[in-house]
Amino acid sequence: MLLEALHLHHFRNLSKVRVEPHQRFNILAGDNGQGKTNFLEAIYLLSAVKSFRPSTNNASLIGFGHEQAVLEAKVERGGYERVVRVDVSERGKRVFLNENPVRNLSDFFGTVNVVTFGPEDIYILKGGPSERRRFVDRAIFNAHPAYATEAMNFEEILKHRNALLKGDGYDANLFAVYDEQFIDYAASMLQRRLDFIHHFRPVLERTFRAIFDPDFETEIAYEMKWPSTSPGHDGSLDELREDRVGVERLLQRGLEQSMREERQRGFTVIGPHRDDLSTTLNGRDVKTFASQGQHRAFVLAMKIAEITYLEERYHFAPILLLDDVSSELDRERNRHLFDFLRGREQGQVFITTTHRDYILLEDDVSVYRVQAGEVCPC
Amino acid sequence: MKTRDPITNLINALSKFPGIGERTATRLAFFVLKEPVEFANELASALIEVKEKVGLCQRCCNLTEGDLCAICRDTRRDPTTICVVESTPDLRAIEGTGDFRGTYHVLHGVISPLEGVGPDDLHVRELLDRMRPGPDQQATPVTEVIVATSPSVDGEATALYLLRLLRPLGVRVSRIASGVPIGGELEYTDRVTLSRAIAQRRDM
Ligand SMILES: [Zn+2]
Repeated sequence: MLLEALHLHHFRNLSKVRVEPHQRFNILAGDNGQGKTNFLEAIYLLSAVKSFRPSTNNASLIGFGHEQAVLEAKVERGGYERVVRVDVSERGKRVFLNENPVRNLSDFFGTVNVVTFGPEDIYILKGGPSERRRFVDRAIFNAHPAYATEAMNFEEILKHRNALLKGDGYDANLFAVYDEQFIDYAASMLQRRLDFIHHFRPVLERTFRAIFDPDFETEIAYEMKWPSTSPGHDGSLDELREDRVGVERLLQRGLEQSMREERQRGFTVIGPHRDDLSTTLNGRDVKTFASQGQHRAFVLAMKIAEITYLEERYHFAPILLLDDVSSELDRERNRHLFDFLRGREQGQVFITTTHRDYILLEDDVSVYRVQAGEVCPC
Repeated sequence: MKTRDPITNLINALSKFPGIGERTATRLAFFVLKEPVEFANELASALIEVKEKVGLCQRCCNLTEGDLCAICRDTRRDPTTICVVESTPDLRAIEGTGDFRGTYHVLHGVISPLEGVGPDDLHVRELLDRMRPGPDQQATPVTEVIVATSPSVDGEATALYLLRLLRPLGVRVSRIASGVPIGGELEYTDRVTLSRAIAQRRDM
């Protein structure tokens, strides 16, 4: 997976950017507020057709005084070159693949694969469950592009179901339809997530031992805090990843047991939109008991393991977007990060920084200076 | 709101059409201005006529000038098979294939609790009435209902809902094959794909 060229027009403060990046390391150096993160955001947008900044509206993506932003990249994967383009106007985004408009995003997803690592990831374990769900969902999306559509459909069903729960009328047939749909989509999501955790867990354990301490036992588990998961459910969640009927039964029971609560509160209280990840070090919760050093090492291990998981299981190297992480990591962890990056046989990386010295890379490097929306090689 | 300027009024009215922005509306308005007055008269009366004369077919809810639409009046059509569609453009798209010889039922929408659209807002009751032949309904009983709502989340939910109502009545319920792209609308699907989707329908 290689970004061979990137052209941006009126994307945020980047009014005109034309870059032919290095196939290994690209360093974007500059002070804060000059447009470094916007550069990474543009690459992300060409992959996911949305920003990595939560709740971003289209208007904010467009340069001041302009009607639309145009993002275009030439990407290479498996020997094939393709041109992807996203036009952003206030009314919406239009996607083109080799100049042809893309009607269905599901046909487009998977064209560009990126993994991001930014300051907000340092807080992935300290923040709310949605942060951890996003981590899992992004990793799955990279491996299975169709997951994005599945997750979007699930969200839609969920909104309808919640609207029904809030409404006054009761149509048993209508409820039955949305229960059926909810279980169908939720089961697919749960199975994808359980399958991810199953394969991700050993990679994480190995990574943490390598970068921190070989004597530590790490554990990461998928967590459903709904009533039906403990009683009546025999066998581990892990087994459910290959047991469609079992997952559907679990969801069915979950809905039955929470019926009273969801009518009262007016929304669906069980399902993949409520789940979480639990993480432990030597049996103790990372969030509460780990030292700051252990905590950061754990987060770094999660990100490195995410990349390794994609490379080992799916045999492709995603583009890495590292947003000013060195300033958030201590010296030791920073060294581990760059050891890992240099040790990969291939794979393109974009790194932003305020200080070039933080970036422990000497070979195969292009450096760009980012200043007031201008990106110039230096 | 009406302004005092007739050109602005026309532009505002035209920009209410789906897909017509202010720029196109302005172009259309100036076109009307440039044309002879007969054109404006013709257009105005066509607009009023369509609203005054066109109503819903009493049987299938298709648009029609009379009590029954041309398809329901046509005795060569097979009344035992009903194809349920979301909208009249969808009906037209399926008619365009020339392969379907049954009759239709137009829902005029899909179920969407989020937007407050429930079964009562669609013409579901009229569809159920067609299943129990009464004095003013067709004499031959319906044997198959083909649900051709779009494969979107809402179209799918609508199909499942109809299935729940129709199955207890002993009628065969089928769904068009999903050769139609997900999220794509029937209206824009090419004839061959659409024709195949109907031919390869499956029992729900
Ligand atoms: Zn009719």
